[in-house]
Amino acid sequence: MDLLFYLFSSMTLLSGVMVIQARNPVYSVLFLILVFFNAAGLLVLLGLDFFAMIFLVVYVGAIAVLFLFVVMMLNIKIAEINEKRLRYLPIGGVLGVVFLFEILLIVDNDLIPLLFYNTESFEEFKLSNFINWSENLQTVTNIQAIGNLVYTYYFYFFLMSSVILLIAMIGAIVLTMQKGIRIKRQQVFLQNTRDFAKTIRKTA
Amino acid sequence: MIEFVGIFVYFIIALALSLILVGVSFIFATKKSDPEKISAYECGFDPFDDARSRFDIQFYLVAILFIIFDLEVTFLFPWALTLNQTGFFGFWSMMIFLIILTIGFVYEWRKGALDWS
Repeated sequence: MDLLFYLFSSMTLLSGVMVIQARNPVYSVLFLILVFFNAAGLLVLLGLDFFAMIFLVVYVGAIAVLFLFVVMMLNIKIAEINEKRLRYLPIGGVLGVVFLFEILLIVDNDLIPLLFYNTESFEEFKLSNFINWSENLQTVTNIQAIGNLVYTYYFYFFLMSSVILLIAMIGAIVLTMQKGIRIKRQQVFLQNTRDFAKTIRKTA
Repeated sequence: MIEFVGIFVYFIIALALSLILVGVSFIFATKKSDPEKISAYECGFDPFDDARSRFDIQFYLVAILFIIFDLEVTFLFPWALTLNQTGFFGFWSMMIFLIILTIGFVYEWRKGALDWS
């Protein structure tokens, strides 16, 4: 299990570096897909199997394809990228250090208590007869936990998400529709019921 | 998590098989490359121009609309599994969600966003 965790997390970090390091933008999108796959593996290791599958379906199946479209639309030549390697390093480095400090603010000893834990006293502690509550828990799969919460307690956010999706849909249509294009549609009923005796006429 | 062991075994077999298929032919195949063999071609010709050309934005629109309905279906899975516990409230909240998205779908249909000229 630990081995799998180290495999997935190191592959995630490595391919994350490759995303910004690859010269061809299409390659970096492919490395981004590899990041998504490894993150899905990490989610499986956490026991969040539904999230892992949704991660694969939504991110790999849809959003990565969208990134590929964006990359192809940007029409970047590979030669242009080579020059601007370290141009954005100062501001990007500052932002990265800021985020690192934010993580260090959150992760204190409350979140990782087992790091400095005395394991021998923990064994003695376990031997004393306490009720092991974790065995008495009724386990709910995480898809059921989501279903119980999202549609009842958090229905307001759920409906807000539908409104956001509606805005995204209408916005995408409005932005990409080109005006003035005549689209010829098939009208099956009219075409089938057309009387050919009237449409073909003999002229003198 | 134990139910993913089968998928893990499958991945290992797939990795081994693909490595064997590529590796064996890489080791044992005869390699005599000449400029005609290793040059790029399309259907027997030299490539006419760069493959990275601009294309119609309608492909992008189709992909975005696909993502939106993909997310809608994603929300349907936990709902369908827990409908006996969430009751009518859960049922109607999902119905409102679907109605709001159907408004967008009707807009898309009437606007002809998925029709190609």
